[in-house]
Amino acid sequence: MTMLRIAQVSRTFPARAGHAPTRALEPIDLAIGDNDFVTILGPSGCGKSTLLRIVAGLDRPTSGRVLLDGREVTGPGADRGMVFQSYTLFPWLTVRDNIAFGLRERGVPDTERGKIADRFIQQIGLSGFANHWPKQLSGGMQQRTAIARALANDPKILLLDEPFGALDNQTRVLMQEMLLGIWERDRKTVLFVTHDIEEAIFLGSRVLVMSARPGRIKADIKIELPHPRSYKVKTSAEFVALKERLVEEIRAEALKVVAEA
Amino acid sequence: MIRPLDPVSTTSRTVLGLAFFVLFVLVWALATFGGYVPKTFLADPLTMLHEGWDLLAKYGFVFDIGMTIWRVVGGFVLAAAIAVPIGVLMGAYKPIEAFLEPFVSFARYLPASAFIPLLILWAGIGELQKLLIIFIGSVFQIILMITVAVGNTRRDLVEAAYTLGASDRGIIGRVLLPSAAPEIAEILRLVLGWAWTYVIVAELIGSSSGIGHMITDSQALLNTGQIIFGIIVIGLIGLISDFLFKAFNAWLFPWKLA
Repeated sequence: MTMLRIAQVSRTFPARAGHAPTRALEPIDLAIGDNDFVTILGPSGCGKSTLLRIVAGLDRPTSGRVLLDGREVTGPGADRGMVFQSYTLFPWLTVRDNIAFGLRERGVPDTERGKIADRFIQQIGLSGFANHWPKQLSGGMQQRTAIARALANDPKILLLDEPFGALDNQTRVLMQEMLLGIWERDRKTVLFVTHDIEEAIFLGSRVLVMSARPGRIKADIKIELPHPRSYKVKTSAEFVALKERLVEEIRAEALKVVAEA
Repeated sequence: MIRPLDPVSTTSRTVLGLAFFVLFVLVWALATFGGYVPKTFLADPLTMLHEGWDLLAKYGFVFDIGMTIWRVVGGFVLAAAIAVPIGVLMGAYKPIEAFLEPFVSFARYLPASAFIPLLILWAGIGELQKLLIIFIGSVFQIILMITVAVGNTRRDLVEAAYTLGASDRGIIGRVLLPSAAPEIAEILRLVLGWAWTYVIVAELIGSSSGIGHMITDSQALLNTGQIIFGIIVIGLIGLISDFLFKAFNAWLFPWKLA
């Protein structure tokens, strides 16, 4: 069963004074199946975030449409949870209330809200921090909470826009393992945007490589590494071979960006 | 050695802050007791205290202070009650902002004190007229500043709320308002300070009570001691209300300080 369909979606940003219109996305066709973990890999400025924002309903495509379970996406909604690169926890809410935000908006009763929030707090390993303000948390803890906040809504698909991009390398690796662990348990459909090759392979069951602007899907690679994956897989011959191939793909695109600049 | 942006300890901050008050009174005492300024123009600190005591003990000045506080608070609460919702709506909905902002910006520059003759004509010289002056002086300022505060809400927080299924009402009530709330409180604190200047102006003309009224009375009697005492009382009340407001805000928004 196919859950998410992206049909001929393109995006052109209108001309600004003195500049030509920017073609961010060429028409893209894509089908993402149930329980898939799809990573979108591309050089910066290739329109991968734009594509994700269109799926989230935060941006409108210039042409084409996005269908989730056959229903056209016309705006943002709770069925597509999103985690942003910037820290977007509500600073006036505690960790628990942040996680319960969507539930409260849906009118879930207080006690049930608390139960669900506590379950996710446990899952992301922040048990002692339920009543902390976001300001008191490290970047990694904030992003963990943001993931829990999106998951607490039980969305059909989870959209992540370089969620670990602002974290230091060690934290990022641990966060990847945590996210993969959650996915291996729940098998929630995930669309994950990144420019980090290793991250794309380690997390994804399918890697989509995007070209430099205007963005289009240049390669669609299935990742057959077995689950559950541990960090050790990163040194396996299969992983290294995949990495080599993707390095070449991305390098070609990055060179185009540099040549244009 | 002081260096740019170097922090100062809490104790030195208190000592330094008080030191200037002491210095100020010293200079004042020197100018008056030393005979450099004639007594008719400027009373010395001791005379001022003496006159102040007389005011409080013999002339029922406490009642005047009470009247002034009531007028400030009354006019200010009235202005805030109307301006906060309008400002929030203007900040949230751009067409409403486009509709009202030019007029409010214009009205902001109308001097409240210039309305006194008109307001006396319309509302007489009773309490309503005093409240209206403070209202006119505050309401447009509050509206404009709150519009900006609400409009400056972080876009990514609004987007995050939308992806969590928030409705438009949810966005206003659960994102825009709490996000702008500390700034709204700061704006109200600031404008309350301005309201104090309007109330005195309002009381200088056509009033039979209040600190401003006492000051005009004392002017007729050339009692500079009383005038200065009145001014100092206003300053003290302002300082206290500001302090209370600040403490209240800090208590209200612990996440800001965490």
